Amino acid sequence: MYSKKVREALEKQKIGVGDIISIKTTGSEFEGTLMPNTEANSEDAVIIKMKNGYNAAFRFSDIKLKKLGEKREIPKFPSVKYERKNRLPDIELIYTGGTIGSKIDYLTGGVYMLTKPEELLYEVPEISEIANIKVNNLFSIPSEDMSSSEWGAISKEVAESLNKGSRGVVITMGTDTMHYASAAISFMLENLNSPVVVTGAQRSSDRGSSDAFMNLYCAAAVAARSDIAEVTVCMHASSSDNACNVIRGTKARKMHSSRRDAFRPINDKPIAQVTKDGEIRYTAGYNRIGEKTEVKASTGFEQKTGIVVAHPNSDPSIIDFFVEKGYKGIIIEGTGLGHTPVSISHKGFSWIENIREASEKGIIIGMTSQCIYGRTNSSVYRNLRLLKRAGAIYCEDMTPETAYVKLGWLLANRKKGEVAGLLQQNLRGEIKGRTEYGTFLV
Amino acid sequence: MADKIDYKALGFLCGLEIHQRLQTDHKLFCRCASSIKEEGEHSSYVERKQRAVAGEMGNIDQSARFEEKKGRSFIYRISESDTCLVEVDEEPPGEINNEALIISLSIADAMRMEPLYEIEPMRKEVVDGSNPSAFQRTMLTGLNGHINVNGRRIGIPSISLEEESAGIIKAGEESAEYDTKRIGIPLVEIDTDQYIKDPEEAKEVALYIGRMLRITGKVQRGIGSIRQDVNVSIAEGSRVEIKGLQEVGSLDRFIENEVIRQVNLLRIKRLLEGQAAKVGEKKELSGIFKGTKSKMMTSSMKDGGQVYGFKLHGFGKALGTEVNPERRLGTEISDYAKMGGVKGIIHSDEELAKYGITEEEEKSVVAALGVGKEDAFILITGKKEAAEKGIEYARERATQAVLGVPAETRAVHDTKLFTTKFLRPIPGGARMYPETDVLPVLVTKELMKEAESASPNIERTLEAMKKELGSEDLANQMISSHRLALYKKLSNATKSDKRFIANTLLQKFVELSRNGYNVDSINEEELAEAFRHYEANKITKRAVEEVIKGLASGKRTKEVIKERQLSRKSKAEISKIIDSAIKKRPKARKDEIMSEIMSEYANVVDGQELKELVEEKCG
Repeated sequence: MYSKKVREALEKQKIGVGDIISIKTTGSEFEGTLMPNTEANSEDAVIIKMKNGYNAAFRFSDIKLKKLGEKREIPKFPSVKYERKNRLPDIELIYTGGTIGSKIDYLTGGVYMLTKPEELLYEVPEISEIANIKVNNLFSIPSEDMSSSEWGAISKEVAESLNKGSRGVVITMGTDTMHYASAAISFMLENLNSPVVVTGAQRSSDRGSSDAFMNLYCAAAVAARSDIAEVTVCMHASSSDNACNVIRGTKARKMHSSRRDAFRPINDKPIAQVTKDGEIRYTAGYNRIGEKTEVKASTGFEQKTGIVVAHPNSDPSIIDFFVEKGYKGIIIEGTGLGHTPVSISHKGFSWIENIREASEKGIIIGMTSQCIYGRTNSSVYRNLRLLKRAGAIYCEDMTPETAYVKLGWLLANRKKGEVAGLLQQNLRGEIKGRTEYGTFLV
Repeated sequence: MADKIDYKALGFLCGLEIHQRLQTDHKLFCRCASSIKEEGEHSSYVERKQRAVAGEMGNIDQSARFEEKKGRSFIYRISESDTCLVEVDEEPPGEINNEALIISLSIADAMRMEPLYEIEPMRKEVVDGSNPSAFQRTMLTGLNGHINVNGRRIGIPSISLEEESAGIIKAGEESAEYDTKRIGIPLVEIDTDQYIKDPEEAKEVALYIGRMLRITGKVQRGIGSIRQDVNVSIAEGSRVEIKGLQEVGSLDRFIENEVIRQVNLLRIKRLLEGQAAKVGEKKELSGIFKGTKSKMMTSSMKDGGQVYGFKLHGFGKALGTEVNPERRLGTEISDYAKMGGVKGIIHSDEELAKYGITEEEEKSVVAALGVGKEDAFILITGKKEAAEKGIEYARERATQAVLGVPAETRAVHDTKLFTTKFLRPIPGGARMYPETDVLPVLVTKELMKEAESASPNIERTLEAMKKELGSEDLANQMISSHRLALYKKLSNATKSDKRFIANTLLQKFVELSRNGYNVDSINEEELAEAFRHYEANKITKRAVEEVIKGLASGKRTKEVIKERQLSRKSKAEISKIIDSAIKKRPKARKDEIMSEIMSEYANVVDGQELKELVEEKCG
């Protein structure tokens, strides 16, 4: 932001961002377009974009400003209108924000979220050879701000679209919490009988190197051509632009902060790979599209559900805190097979009593593993047996995130008495009966 | 030739862009070392596609679109030791390397540039694959300066600090392969204004700037560490950028040839205007070549290739007109067609028989295209898609011939004839936008102070060097040498005679290098050790050269001295040697004694010392 002093001086000379101005220093004169001052700049830096494209910053007190011309109109983004092709299936693209839709504002240099998601399709014209796409601009929210109400809103849109005849749905969103969302939508959509594909990007789509283009193309291919009647995540399989993995929505997890191939299946194999040319190669079992059914969106979510990490030195009274705050469900990320401290030598560190008390009050306590990979087990060690007896429910091979989402959803959509049982039962592919050898670090 | 051309009358405009890699501890935006290991093996690959994204004007840059049309994929080699996730666009960049920033600011200071208040990192879009991120990070570090070369003031409108791009390994029709090691090495780009008066001056300016850069002692040396891009145009011609000239010595010849090329293209334009020339539509001619004996045609058609052609109405004379040595208008059109990924291009002013095309086939082509006496034609064969692209590009270039000189980026074609070839259209201006992943840097007083104290001043350095070496000639040579940084290091690390060090680096090194010794691979610390041995009278002046030979093969100073028995003989030892020589030849003259001893002990006996002792003994 420009400082008050600079702002006032600019206003006085009727200079606004985007205007062509001249800047006189002691020795030279420069011309350029006035840029805004962002939170990254010093507030007394006057920034212009010069003819050669570079931005140059001058200290306000060292220069004299003169307006040379009005703000130029930035031409509208070329609009895309694809002819409807009757031979192609109809799919819907629900746009919700995130890096895939973030664009640089060429005038101001700031990053903004696309207001017209159609612009995305402009960059991927070949997508029009896969399907007729209806774009649904639902909202524009960065991944870190997504909540259960957005998951619910998305699920409702998906159900409506499918019930109206879409062959499949692609949802674009931010990637950081994509695996929570893909799990949530998996649970919320009941009787799903079509492909629902979640995708996004690790590099914004204003970059020539963006992963958005192939991700979008492959996701559209899955929605339009596959017979996968599940919610899946479709993102780069490797750092190369060769193929995307199609990962079950309840088994996906973001495993890297920045790489294109950040999304990996946990305790599961990818259902399929889609090549950059849109060819789908199935690699594991999945629910196939069956007879047409009405999809129902059960979008309730218990807000009083939380995740707690058990770590060395951790204070078990954190459980009491959650109880006092009225929480109905807690997922513990235990160590190894699903431990918390139960030490007899350090009484104050034992979680046993706190879990027992919470459990007796009807709070559901689910146990997962912070190892991420592998299955929890409640009987190998005595300490595990103590926790189970205290009331912890072992969540099999679910990731902590999926267990959290599932618990929140169960608490709002199922009878109270059924929740504990259902938490341990497979509903949407989130629990595998057997752990296949080839599912580690894939 | 140069003196025959009146550059002023031609409306000659010429500016330079000089790119120099900096010698910093690490790269510009990550912690990988700047000094890469050229040899090291690569451990993995990634393969990427790049797209031309809509630029700030909502449209797509012509140059970017052109690259995308080629539809190639890019393969990037990754070597763990020189590349991290930042270079392959898998991790956001870190902060700007302060060391590189200071060097860049110090050069700006030496060129009397206006400092900026804040440094604004930018992205410059590049989609030829030379950067996995599809852009190059760059920032302006100085504005509106100048240098004085041979009494003429040359404007330096801007200097920028940017990251090096990937090195190309091979460019194929469907993919290009790059090595990512180089990516991110800091680079300064110095731009001159466009008023350089002739090719000779362009060379002088490049030499001057090169010298200034070396004086910083902070620039990399060796192949590719400095590159010159030249912008040339004449009145009625167009701006042509010749990219990546590495030899400053031939800079003037390339510029001269570009001027000649533009003059010739304008001549061709007038010729074509006189003929009311125009470019015909493409026609498929595959039918004519069914059952042909032409190897080029059969091998192309075997792969499902097709033959296309188009008529060049009124191009009969123009097509074969030479624009540069061994380059005709036809060659220029071929260059464009090749960008479509086809190899089989034939133009009518060639001997068609050399492609195995019969007279009958030629007649059929002429008939099919309706080619008359004053006309010409082009044939292209290749896979359908490539051939169609090739035809499209070729027609585009032919159309431009009627209009004059196309604005292009060109690359070196022949280093002996100093000719260039088409690389891509000149990129549009709107290709830069802010790098939002990197914070701007405030240019503080402290930063400026550091920059000023490191500022490379040629006059001052020359003056100091003259004092140090006691010779203007030697001083001049030293500050122009790429071994200047090494000289500084050695003269700081040892107390050896500075003249001796300078002479060794300027003469002995060149001599040894010519004789096949890899002197540039010598470990600098070991070299300093050799000079320290000399300074401590442990080896003679002549032995230093012998030690250097050993160092060039990767040995250590002490090792070489021991292996080759290079330890300097003490006074007592020399004395004994003289005694026995006199004993052997009692009647010999002093000079005979000395030369006999030197013939055997040249490397280990100091000549002056020997002379004194012989004088003493033989009175």
